[in-house]
Amino acid sequence: MSEIILRTENLGISFGAHKAVNNVSLEIEKGKLTTILGPNGAGKTTFFNLVSGLLTPTTGKIFFKGTDVTNLSPIKRVEAGMGRSFQLTNVFPTLSAHENIRLAAQSHQKVGFKIFTNHRKYKNVNEKTELILERVLLKDKKNTLACDLTHGEQRKLELGMVLALEPEVLLLDEPTAGMAIEEVPAMIEIIRNAHQSGTTVVLIEHKMDMVKILSDRLVILVNGSVMADGDPKTVSENPEVLKAYLGGGMLDEVSS
Amino acid sequence: MSIRINVADQMGSKKMGPLALVSLIILVIGMFVLPRYLKNAQLIMMSRIFLLAVYGMSYDILRGYTGFINLGQAIFFGSGVYMGVIFLNIQNDLTYFMLAILAISALSVIGGYIMSKIVLKTGGVVASAMITLALGEIVRSIAERWRFVTGGQDGLPMRASRVALDPLFETRIGAYYFALVFLIVMTLALRQFVLSPTGRVLLSIRENEQRSRFLGFDTNKYKAIAIIVSALASGWTGVFFAVIARFANTDYLSIQYTLNALLITLVGGTGTLYGAIIGSAFVTWINNFLLTLANSYPGATILRFPMLFIGSVYILLVIFMPYGIMGGIYRLQAKLNLGKDK
Repeated sequence: MSEIILRTENLGISFGAHKAVNNVSLEIEKGKLTTILGPNGAGKTTFFNLVSGLLTPTTGKIFFKGTDVTNLSPIKRVEAGMGRSFQLTNVFPTLSAHENIRLAAQSHQKVGFKIFTNHRKYKNVNEKTELILERVLLKDKKNTLACDLTHGEQRKLELGMVLALEPEVLLLDEPTAGMAIEEVPAMIEIIRNAHQSGTTVVLIEHKMDMVKILSDRLVILVNGSVMADGDPKTVSENPEVLKAYLGGGMLDEVSS
Repeated sequence: MSIRINVADQMGSKKMGPLALVSLIILVIGMFVLPRYLKNAQLIMMSRIFLLAVYGMSYDILRGYTGFINLGQAIFFGSGVYMGVIFLNIQNDLTYFMLAILAISALSVIGGYIMSKIVLKTGGVVASAMITLALGEIVRSIAERWRFVTGGQDGLPMRASRVALDPLFETRIGAYYFALVFLIVMTLALRQFVLSPTGRVLLSIRENEQRSRFLGFDTNKYKAIAIIVSALASGWTGVFFAVIARFANTDYLSIQYTLNALLITLVGGTGTLYGAIIGSAFVTWINNFLLTLANSYPGATILRFPMLFIGSVYILLVIFMPYGIMGGIYRLQAKLNLGKDK
């Protein structure tokens, strides 16, 4: 078995009496693409919020590269090598696409608190920005404000921002959510490239077909708990999983 | 169609056209020649415009670039005015002026740091605005009671010096040039600041602070830097202001002077930096105009309430010119360029 890069131990959070995430213990292997699948309200995004530091868990611990990061701020977790994208598009709306990515590159290159040099003068940041813009297919849109991009382009921009951070673990929260169907293959290609260059990817998804092609491993989350875990083929044919999915009204996705 | 542009993002991205460059040079030379043709009262007004422009720009760093509303900004400006008067009352020369600058620098850095520590605990824009408002009032009321140093409500006049007065401080022309050079230097310095990597992170905080944190930026540290830089610029402006006002009182510490800065950025356009120069000219002029009017018609009671008019200007501006003068110009320019491309 390969090295464990991210591990949760009995991770849980309650909102009042509702246990959104309940005793989730997962081990994410380095270099693998793991997908977390589940019906709406299963606690997938909440799980990401816990791992990335947006929420503090009520129970359990999170270990990243062997260190306990449960009480670290999101900023520290990014510094340690975690990068996440958001389900609802989360960019800097009235900054250009180029500036959105450039800021991420600036963070990654550790430019620091410089207050008297022009931000355009950092060659490594600029090169990195151009590279990422090319990778997420936004090169000819780089001077467009993020809010004037189409939804699909915003999703790519969002992914580009995380990629520019060059994280060791990439947490992607439904990167294709709301995208037009013809835009999806390009997005999958970007994710696959990132994964093949050695990045560990944890993906939250709804689309079963997309998941089957991409993933090394599939985790099914239902009502905040892990229901099934294993290689995509076995898990997707598990009768219990199929039943849960029927309950979540996801028949079409499963049968397609 | 309304055009969305971000003036702050585009700043410095294009080289200045020859026409703009020539007119800027003519404007600056004009400003240096102008005093020969001005009376003392006009010289004072021009100097006020220059200084309040810097004050407005320092406020724009917070409001326009960081998206942080500081209702206690006058603490730094007013302290600067007091420092200026106190130090120049000891000895009226350039050395003591520089000492006042040093003193206010230390005070602004410490004060700004303390303010950021208190304010950034809460996080919310409204909550922090309220806290800065309270901080401002606390400082002002302390100053009012501390008569020994501040002269309380009577204020602290600058004494006529017994030693030979520095010509810089004696003549209004000297003060004019002093203020003009200060404006030019500070415009360049603050422009450099907003174009720096740190300035860019401030922009991202205004846009979406949570995202900024998830890019790994420690946003509270960046905000603290913005507060301190802004405090420094405001404090220095205060010391220069003492030279032309020759008087300090607690009004300079009050919310009134914070609102002045707010109005200046509002008129000029928030997040445009240079807009504060236009805003300052407009606000100073309208204040002056109302004052002259009130003096010419002593019978008209309504003219004794200038806030009545200034308040109306506020409201009209927010409704009809939400982007301010500079913001409007940039938008017009973008619209014209859009037409050209097609």
